[in-house]
Amino acid sequence: MRTRPGRRALAAGVAALVGAVLAGPAAAFTVFACEPEWAALTRILLPTARVHVATHAGQDPHHIEARPSLIAQLRSADLAVCTGASLESGWLPTLQERAGNRRAQDVFFAADHVELIDPQPGAIGTPWTGDVHAEGNPHLHVDPRKLLEVANALAGRLGQEVPGERAGIELRRAAFEARWRRQVSEWERRATPLRGLPVAAQHTTFGYLWHWLGMTQVADLEPRPGMPPTPGHLQRLLEGLRAAPPVAVVIAGFQDPRSGRWLGSQLRGRSGANVPLLVLPPTVSDDAAEPQLVAWVDGLLRELLDAAARRP
Amino acid sequence: MSARRFDPLTLALCLAVVGSAAAAQPAGNWQFGAVLDLAHTTRALALGSRDQGLQLGHSDLSARGPLGTLFKAQLTASVATHDGKLEKGVEEAWLETTRLPAGLQARAGRFASQVGYLNSQHPHADDFVERPLLYRGFFGGHWTDDGLRLNWTAPTPFYLMIGAEAFRGKRLVRETAGAVRNPGIATVVVKTGADLDRSHSWQLGLSHIRSRREAAVEVHEEAEGEEGHGHDDEAGHDHAHGAQFSGRKTWMIDATWKWAPGGNNRDQQLRVGLEAARITGLNRFATARDRHESHAITLVWRFRPQWEAGLRADWLRVRMPHGEHFHSARLREHALMLAWKPSHQQSLRLQVSGQRDAVEFENPARRAVQLQYVLAFGAHGAHAY
Repeated sequence: MRTRPGRRALAAGVAALVGAVLAGPAAAFTVFACEPEWAALTRILLPTARVHVATHAGQDPHHIEARPSLIAQLRSADLAVCTGASLESGWLPTLQERAGNRRAQDVFFAADHVELIDPQPGAIGTPWTGDVHAEGNPHLHVDPRKLLEVANALAGRLGQEVPGERAGIELRRAAFEARWRRQVSEWERRATPLRGLPVAAQHTTFGYLWHWLGMTQVADLEPRPGMPPTPGHLQRLLEGLRAAPPVAVVIAGFQDPRSGRWLGSQLRGRSGANVPLLVLPPTVSDDAAEPQLVAWVDGLLRELLDAAARRP
Repeated sequence: MSARRFDPLTLALCLAVVGSAAAAQPAGNWQFGAVLDLAHTTRALALGSRDQGLQLGHSDLSARGPLGTLFKAQLTASVATHDGKLEKGVEEAWLETTRLPAGLQARAGRFASQVGYLNSQHPHADDFVERPLLYRGFFGGHWTDDGLRLNWTAPTPFYLMIGAEAFRGKRLVRETAGAVRNPGIATVVVKTGADLDRSHSWQLGLSHIRSRREAAVEVHEEAEGEEGHGHDDEAGHDHAHGAQFSGRKTWMIDATWKWAPGGNNRDQQLRVGLEAARITGLNRFATARDRHESHAITLVWRFRPQWEAGLRADWLRVRMPHGEHFHSARLREHALMLAWKPSHQQSLRLQVSGQRDAVEFENPARRAVQLQYVLAFGAHGAHAY
């Protein structure tokens, strides 16, 4: 008998919770973006969408934890937009499993809509080979031409998901494509001095940037993909790079700068100056839209052009 | 004896999973993996799962993937050495829905219960060589069982999950005092969590277990303590050890807090965990004051991308059934570990453990040093929080 009031209170609580949940705001189309660049494209194409961004530029997108907050975000999503090519394979499946959201099962993977560089067909990651992405390099958003291809494919998917917005999405997509193409030509014109220049970098984070600009990554600070630099590996790189030092050592903001700084400080160019360490943002901020995407690529080019101009 | 019989549900599920994996699906969507867990132990711990010397820990072969568009499935076979014998068994064989509406999810087959923080994790993914006393005493280390699960994830701005499970319970309480109706054990779990900001995140879980399976009381005095396992030899070939201490009602709470500067957990992370459990209704002779309790506090610090150090303190206070009465027993344990993880697939861990204040537990290890190596091939699921 003593438990009766307690049970009634519990029942009332559960009823209130269920009521709150059912009455909750479900109006806006909600997108779960695994990385900020896909959030930015979503905002360009469908400005009315509510966008959750799972990661930010200060995180290594390979190593995200399936945090409770991310499960809640995926639970409320109408569509998940991610990179694919196994970039999120360490955390997205757990989020899908925990969120129990059937709309989050058919993820829009950007990598399914562009041709990836450095595919390794049949490659199987073993404990000694590091993080092997057999599909190819997943960091495809750093090539603005690929970003546009993804935007076009994403527009198609968003149009299917929100039929009422299809015309508007198509208009915004076409306008974005026109502006972006002009922007890309402008960038390519500015970047001509970079063509053929060698860089050293950590991981393949900026692989698409080198590919786009015609630069060559002559050294990877990681001994194996995804493994942090080791002293022995850096020493070997140093020996190999002495004869023809790169214009810069490039790392992303989430990577530890010590190895890159050391390597740059050990290398001397013809003028005797050290090779600079460039810490570049691997993506845009998580509230970004088109202006921030433009500013980001602008910034990458500026840093590289500065380094090339000061070439040691 | 009954533990030797292969129950039809599990057999059917195994066949379904294996059959579909082999025939229906191209291997592209299915992922296969293997994990090897080797550890050298200088001295076996009381209630420990690892024998002295170089032993095979919880190693497994697993396959997981979609079954059509509506389900996914996982099959895991595990092996481990125990008391000098190689034990093998089907650890997981389940089918789960992926397309239920309203955030609902159902699972059927053999799987790990989602009670507590650690139980749904594979032991080789743990931060320590041995699980806390709480799991070793109350869940046989890692409780997997045959049953059903229904989970609901709420569409709230923070994480909220409410789940219920019904199990046969034969793999938790192996020998019962009398005949037991199915389901033998039911659980209700509530989990919630969120981010405080970019650097801080937390999760809180509350679990309740109801059991109809009243454990048969051991009559042989030497069967506890040193031996440390409540199962009889007939069942000893199956890699499931059952709970050493059980009761009608179990309450568990688990709290986790993680901090990573700027959210970049790859470089640095501090993880703090707390788990506590209380079991009441020990058996028909127990009074309200007879209960089992256990707590564990865990601190793990990733101070470099490949390096982690951890500290754990555990307490266990139980009432050991002896015929119609009980003996108070207790045990404290501390563990200190250092782990090197050169990649996702490998880890090398050195751990020093000490057991103190042992009452009624024979052969507590004042100091045990363990060296563990875990090697994973292929896919092995994604990591949970």
